[in-house]
Amino acid sequence: MTLSFPIIIGMVFAIIYFSNQETGRAVENTKNQKFSIEVTDESGLLNKDLIKQFGALQPADKQTAIDKVKNGGLDAYFYYPKDLGKKNIEVYAKDAGLFDNSRYQAVAKVLLQQSVTQTVDAQVTAILQDKVQFSSTTYKDGKQFDGFKELIAPGVFLVLFYILILVFGNQMLTSTTEEKENRVTEMILTTIEARTLIIGKIFSLIALAFVQIIAIIVPVIIAYVFFRNQLALPNLDLSNIPLDPLRIAIGAAIFIFSFLLFTGLLVAIGAIAPTAKEANGFFGVITVFIFGPLWAVTLFVSMPDSVLVRFLSFFPLTAPIPLMLRNAVGNLTLTDSLIGIIILLISSIISLSIAVRLFRYGILEYSNRIPFSVIFNKKSKNINFSKQKPI
Amino acid sequence: MDFGKKTVIKDLSFEVYKGEIFGFLGSNGSGKTTTIRALLGLYQPTSGDLLIDGKPFSVSSGIKLGYLPEERGLYKNESVIDVMSYFGRLKGLDVSEAKKQAMDYLDRINLSDKAKTRIDKLSSGQQQKIQLGITIMNNPELLILDEPTKGFDPVNRRLLMDIVEEHQRRGATIIFVTHQMEEVERLCDRAILLKDGVSYAYGTIADIKKKFSGASLDDIFIRVYGDENEKTKENS
Repeated sequence: MTLSFPIIIGMVFAIIYFSNQETGRAVENTKNQKFSIEVTDESGLLNKDLIKQFGALQPADKQTAIDKVKNGGLDAYFYYPKDLGKKNIEVYAKDAGLFDNSRYQAVAKVLLQQSVTQTVDAQVTAILQDKVQFSSTTYKDGKQFDGFKELIAPGVFLVLFYILILVFGNQMLTSTTEEKENRVTEMILTTIEARTLIIGKIFSLIALAFVQIIAIIVPVIIAYVFFRNQLALPNLDLSNIPLDPLRIAIGAAIFIFSFLLFTGLLVAIGAIAPTAKEANGFFGVITVFIFGPLWAVTLFVSMPDSVLVRFLSFFPLTAPIPLMLRNAVGNLTLTDSLIGIIILLISSIISLSIAVRLFRYGILEYSNRIPFSVIFNKKSKNINFSKQKPI
Repeated sequence: MDFGKKTVIKDLSFEVYKGEIFGFLGSNGSGKTTTIRALLGLYQPTSGDLLIDGKPFSVSSGIKLGYLPEERGLYKNESVIDVMSYFGRLKGLDVSEAKKQAMDYLDRINLSDKAKTRIDKLSSGQQQKIQLGITIMNNPELLILDEPTKGFDPVNRRLLMDIVEEHQRRGATIIFVTHQMEEVERLCDRAILLKDGVSYAYGTIADIKKKFSGASLDDIFIRVYGDENEKTKENS
């Protein structure tokens, strides 16, 4: 299961690589092919010498050319209307297969673009083709500041949190239903403490999560370092990514307590539900809380002091995403980060305590969900005892 | 002890002496399992005391407990040896000792060739024997067996009784929950009969028989619990 992800990545990369190879070969083949063309230029924009270079001829009239294409006597006919801004360039061509049919339009486009390019200044061409490059330098507190690069290091925790919940959420949910479904709860609870079992399960999930993360990251790194060109991956310069120790530490703290909070919640749901199937039904509710704040992502970036952002940042179930995102973009104040971390710490302790209690009291209920009155009632089961002498 | 509006245990008091085999008898639904679960802290009493060695039971109390619950179950997707070793480790054995005790037991019950077989591939009788083996791992000083011979054929029933007697000879205290009277007669030193949440008879086997004018335990059981079947028929 752990190796399935890197294997899938490897397969995807292999498909991309061979697909790129094949596409490159197809493009080369297309370039070398010759086909018969006739062109009618009512726009007056085409360069006549260029038309000759392409081997294109002028037909007697439009309909004659179209009929020739229909009858197979001509490979392609291009009609450039007078007003290109309001009418389409018409391309009539002999079918050459799904992939090769696009070459005709490509040639018609190149013919027009090269004709026009020759009549304007190179700078104007670059502007019109949106090939003008920009370099941008921003400053914050007297120092050079690159907002996107600053985002990377603390933003890693946000990505990590998403991956862990998506990949392991279900496992956390069903980790405590295993004992119930296998009916081993009585033997377990009379051998080890419920708290010990829950903590052990959480640690094992964390260890599994790290192994899975490594199994995901390592093949990506290998592909990037050794096969970047073959896979057409962008060249990322990671050497000058700024590392702000305070923001990284804050991001790490928010991540850890958020992970513990949701782990406790998911484990608690697993303990309360009689089967894994019922437990899965609750997972959707949890994902709404986790992923719901994403709908307001622009607010977190642009209006961090708004009431909604502050509420989402401090309400425990929605806090992780806003806090991590605000920390990543740099608008999370130290005060807000401390408040958020404390809230998440307390909430994670509470959720784990509830998980242990639910496991303790719920684990012998094999067919019903545990009512909340039982969970929070200190003495949930009653026995009336009195002394009686033996016979 | 109440479950909702239903009172399961009304008035119950007994002692189990160290080193004896104590029979806990009653018809289905009489409260035997409930009492055992309360004794082991799985249920919480609101009054009265359930004590082992003078204190309430907890897994950290240091008592070497072997508990075979009435609700049978094992990790179905794991192999026999892995499950047995896992529980042995939970009981405090190291890896090699847990494995050794597991294999010794499997040899005894002629299932050593099933060591690497998944639990769900075994028959229910074989699974029960595995669960019994887990119960007696690490030589418990207190053995609580809740209907241990349920589903066993006579050969395996005899095996279980031999195991129980062996552990008593080693000094273990055994609580034996059952309604198989021949097992009670063979094994138990003292017993309690539970009916309608109340102790109906309590003491040595001889004393119980004397109370019922020397009748056999089977007859006593039918006499005590026979009217419950009549009531059930009338109600249905």
